[in-house]
Amino acid sequence: MSSERGMSLIVKTTARATIPLIGIFGAYVVSHGHLTPGGGFQGGATIAGAGILFLIAFGFGEMEKRYSHGLYSALEGLGGLAFLGAAMLGLGVAFFYNTLWHNGPLFNGRPGTLLSAGYLPIMNLAVGLKVFTGLVSAMVAIAAYRRWGE
Amino acid sequence: MRFIAAFVWSLILWLVLTAGSRGLLWSTEELVAGVIFSAVVAFATRDVIGERASRFLNPVKWVGFAVYAIGPLFWGMVKANFDVAYRVITGRIKPGIVRVPVDLENDAQYTIMSNSITLTPGTLTIDACPDEKALYVHWINVTEREPESSEVVAGPFEKWARRLGR
Repeated sequence: MSSERGMSLIVKTTARATIPLIGIFGAYVVSHGHLTPGGGFQGGATIAGAGILFLIAFGFGEMEKRYSHGLYSALEGLGGLAFLGAAMLGLGVAFFYNTLWHNGPLFNGRPGTLLSAGYLPIMNLAVGLKVFTGLVSAMVAIAAYRRWGE
Repeated sequence: MRFIAAFVWSLILWLVLTAGSRGLLWSTEELVAGVIFSAVVAFATRDVIGERASRFLNPVKWVGFAVYAIGPLFWGMVKANFDVAYRVITGRIKPGIVRVPVDLENDAQYTIMSNSITLTPGTLTIDACPDEKALYVHWINVTEREPESSEVVAGPFEKWARRLGR
């Protein structure tokens, strides 16, 4: 089987069912980074695993149709900017001052609930987005670089 | 419809993962976050999940899957495990790859059938060829070189796969 056509029917069908599950599990790991083990990098790498599963199961041809370099590049930059923005929120006191937790309107719930821990959930989401888009872009770039087969 | 199928599928996993955030149930913020994240994931994967994935939203099918997993599949696995244990102890094996003709129509049916065959020890699906309507199965004890139906290899699995994947 060539890499254009991807893998067999069973792999493809199983990938269809599991890719949303991997995606939502990664989102769970990212969004609960301040409550349970895991966080931005781990969850982002998990979601990138879904993208890599798509790339391997369906082949580079399908991935090429759905992957947009501009979008992924912009999202990666956005993740970095959101992290920086969350870090600058408390700049009146200090860089990385967790003002959302101390007196902010949001994310200052009881510790242990989802909306707690100040800027940590925002930063986890930002890192997750950055890691996901970065890893998928890297894998697509590696898959696209194939002087070997020619 | 494909969006809804992906949405429900991911929301179920989210609810399983976050159960217990308020007593044994879910707190409001977890539910809201689950709906948001599921919508994002479903939007991203709506083209991936397949043309006709929404047919699996039918609750009758879920009951069918549960009955299949607890009944025929589990019983088939128990029997096959004892059979393989017997073959490990006595060493009476006759391995080979056989072509099993099956009468299935779509990808989901082939997947359920192949995974059921692989889950029962002693048989292992090598390849599924929908264009020639056959599975290639590696069998630990070949009793029939060219089986006419999947009955000898897989028992009742083909009937179930046809029903569940329809």
